[in-house]
Amino acid sequence: MRIRILPIVAHVLAIIAVLPLLWIVISALKPVEDVFDFGWPSTWTLDNLQYVLLKIPMPRFMLNSAIVSVAVTVIALFFHSMAAYALARLRFPGRGIIFSGIMSTLLVSLPVILVPLFLVAKQLGLLDSYAGLIVPSIFHAFGIFLLRQYYLNIPRELEEAADLDGCGYWRRYWSVILPLSRPVLASLSVLFFLANWNAFLWPLTITRNPDLRVIQLGVSGMQGQYASAWNLILAAAVIAAVPTVVVFVAGQKRLVDAMKTTGLK
Amino acid sequence: MVATLPPARLSRRTLLGAFAAVPLLSACGGSSGGDGKEMSFWNFYGPSDDQGPQSKWFVDVVDEWNKNNDVKVKLRYIPGKDYLNGTTLQTAFQSGQGPDIFLISPGDFLRYYNGNVLQDLGAALSPESKADYLPGLLEARSVDGKVYGLPMEIEPLAMYYSETAFEKAGLSEADLPKTWDETLAVAEKLTGKDRYGVMFETLPGYYQNFTWYPFLWQGDGTPIKDGKVAFDSPAAVQALKFWQDTIQNKVAPRKALGDGGGDVVSNLGSGAAAMQQSGIWAVADMRAKAKNFKYGVIPHPTPAGGKAATDLGGWAFVANSKGKNPEAAAKFIAWALGSTDAAGIERQRQWNTVVKTNVPPRKSVQAAADAKGAFDDGALKKFVSEIAPTGKPEPRFPPEVYQPIADAIQACQLNAADPGKAAADAAARIDTFLKTYQGAPIS
Amino acid sequence: MSRKRREALAAYAFLAPDTLGLLIFVALPMVLAFGVAFFKVDGFGNYQYVGLANYKLMAGDDQLLASLKVTAIYVVTFVPIAFVVSFALAMLVRNHFKGIGWVRSAFFLPNVVSLVVVGLIWQFLLVDKRGALSKLLAPLGLGDVSFLGTPSLALGTYVVISVWFLMGYQMLVFLAGLKDVPKDLEDAAEIDGASSWQRFRFVIWPLLRPTSFFVVVNSTIGAVTGLQAFDLVFVLTKGGPARATSTVVLYIYEQAFTFNNMGYAAALTTVVVAILVLCTGLMFGVTRGGRFDED
Repeated sequence: MRIRILPIVAHVLAIIAVLPLLWIVISALKPVEDVFDFGWPSTWTLDNLQYVLLKIPMPRFMLNSAIVSVAVTVIALFFHSMAAYALARLRFPGRGIIFSGIMSTLLVSLPVILVPLFLVAKQLGLLDSYAGLIVPSIFHAFGIFLLRQYYLNIPRELEEAADLDGCGYWRRYWSVILPLSRPVLASLSVLFFLANWNAFLWPLTITRNPDLRVIQLGVSGMQGQYASAWNLILAAAVIAAVPTVVVFVAGQKRLVDAMKTTGLK
Repeated sequence: MVATLPPARLSRRTLLGAFAAVPLLSACGGSSGGDGKEMSFWNFYGPSDDQGPQSKWFVDVVDEWNKNNDVKVKLRYIPGKDYLNGTTLQTAFQSGQGPDIFLISPGDFLRYYNGNVLQDLGAALSPESKADYLPGLLEARSVDGKVYGLPMEIEPLAMYYSETAFEKAGLSEADLPKTWDETLAVAEKLTGKDRYGVMFETLPGYYQNFTWYPFLWQGDGTPIKDGKVAFDSPAAVQALKFWQDTIQNKVAPRKALGDGGGDVVSNLGSGAAAMQQSGIWAVADMRAKAKNFKYGVIPHPTPAGGKAATDLGGWAFVANSKGKNPEAAAKFIAWALGSTDAAGIERQRQWNTVVKTNVPPRKSVQAAADAKGAFDDGALKKFVSEIAPTGKPEPRFPPEVYQPIADAIQACQLNAADPGKAAADAAARIDTFLKTYQGAPIS
Repeated sequence: MSRKRREALAAYAFLAPDTLGLLIFVALPMVLAFGVAFFKVDGFGNYQYVGLANYKLMAGDDQLLASLKVTAIYVVTFVPIAFVVSFALAMLVRNHFKGIGWVRSAFFLPNVVSLVVVGLIWQFLLVDKRGALSKLLAPLGLGDVSFLGTPSLALGTYVVISVWFLMGYQMLVFLAGLKDVPKDLEDAAEIDGASSWQRFRFVIWPLLRPTSFFVVVNSTIGAVTGLQAFDLVFVLTKGGPARATSTVVLYIYEQAFTFNNMGYAAALTTVVVAILVLCTGLMFGVTRGGRFDED
């Protein structure tokens, strides 16, 4: 009995969980006067989406977010895999301390250090620039930790084969370790892309130039400019969410894999 | 970019010891007193996505100036909510990259004045121009006789009401409330499934304080008198209580639609509120976005034994004294708002009575508008002849005075706090601040 | 050069970019906060040394106290609710059934959407009187409840939305942990006649301890200093009504960027950092040297 009921409960709960998202998509496709109507729309329209894409620089916001997210993801994965390689496979004085030091930064989140980080960025001339959006977002211990866990599990023999060929450490990293880490890098790139596409607080704090607005700022800014036009706000929200959902669906397996590999996330 | 060093005092302090370990650029910071060729002008009107008439006015004024001057002005549009309640402007000044020209409300004047970033406009203003402004207006933007901001408009507050909502509730013009008690009673009749009877601003900010002061003044209250705190008064308590009652009686919304209290189109116009306190600007908004909506305007209801009162808002153009070219910025402002030639008066008339609705701040502009019949009937007539004369300019308080009052309003309105205690708490905080305050006089 | 030396040099080179980055963008700000905390900084970049004045200010700051209270209430409600909900979901979708893939994705989906969009979605659903939820509740006579406009309800609403947002993520963490529970151990218990509650209590639960510990620590830190404590409230309520949802991190942001009290904000930052360091130390102590390092 119990066995048959639980899946049904699960399905019902799943529908309830996505209902708010579904409701927003439906509402974004309603004409402005029906947006608060509680029911299936009598007419459907693409006007809201069209307006948001054509009259508001939404494509520009998306481009900015894409540039920043891709840049951060690529650079971060490169740096993190290098650091993780050293921590996992090389022996050197101070390894324990450096590792603990890196790990302890896991506890520091952006909201906590926002104010002084802003001052640092100001001193470095990073305010209101792509560099300012990208550079400080690269460094995060989580990726290092995850990659290190992965590298610990790569059999030593593989690397030793390269050693016999007389390869230096860079070649070992580049030709043995990096190719082997493709799956975990793919998983991480999904996570990193999502996190950066969804970033709001840091762009909010350091950018003012409208040409540098990222998508989340653009969407939240709709509230200021189109406060009463819920149809447009929702259309913008849907557009901001679509890429994340696509990336999630495409990379879902990798995402779950990443969590399984580490048992941590 | 013109590079300047951070204040010398700072660089010598130990705090920068942290920086000493790493070589850092110091490319930031605004320039001061330069002679740059392009000045940024931050505002919340244009050029906006919708390119409405108000946006167009700003664009046209700047185009006109740029045609005839070497030092160009470049507009930057910041949505109203971000400008009023956001952090865009503050962060810019904080990092030494404030705009050259920007808009400020009287409530926010002292923050910028005390921060030494406002340029004295005196040299650019002709005596005729100064004399053309209505009494008190320039004084509200002056310190020690020096004018730091030029007002573009006068914006009195009043109560808007929906004729349709009154009809539906079986009420007539005779039922329009004159007292606070009547307001609560009428609002109850007007409240329904989809509608609240009356609405006041609920979002905290300078704007909410601005809209609340008239109710304080009606009972002869004031936050500061002769440089000393006077907020803990029966007038403040009853005004706090009045707003609280509207929420406790469930006749006013806890959260407004759209842009909030200033947005009549989204609230009164959508049928979500039957009466709404808002400013004269809403007449133009309704004209543009809800042309056929039937509404009227009445003065603020008064407490028993109280007097009529309203708050006269109005934004001003100001120049950044640490901007790229403060003198040229001052000239631009004096030209755009203060010119006494025919073109200048027409520019002002357009802003105050055509693209937007305000009480014009200059006598010559009022005369020109009168000649065109701008205030002959309807809501604008009521505003100009009946409501504005009971008004006082919006007070200018530094953030340390504004904030305790804002907290008291919020706590009473939305969190059922005891008005007497809230007023006393706010007064205590203001008092602490005033004891150490050394900036320009608070008024 | 000896091999050992070469290896060490290579390692430092590999570590250099990230270490430098973490030093400049994580460690330096923390140090800097302690410096700026002794200054009064106005909104125009002027610094004035004020000693401990910023710290003295905290004692009489009612709004800070209110924010601390908000964060505390948020933590003690959000953490257990999210724990129970996500654990229940994990148990629900632990064993295979038809459509399990979609069910798991559905629970995780809210976590994929940005907090900004989440904030907007719920603002829309919770619009007074006309919003979907008000219409849904109207037949029960609750049509004019203002979920985001009533201080006592706003914080609860914020908790519920946070749970909705994070339950899928924590569910996956639990699922990963449940993978480590050997099936035969459970089967053996079943054969021995253990009820499902007993199997849960004596087999699953003890083996899930490390995972549970991680979830609790992680969600507590997230609740205090995570993006959910800023992005979501910023978009949803801006800390209102009447400061009922003003979290500590939002309050620091306001002090820094709305009221331009950078020095005071830096002082508040140091307090949060100090609390974090203390908690971390405590955690490391309890877990005997940190559970991150499995070497």
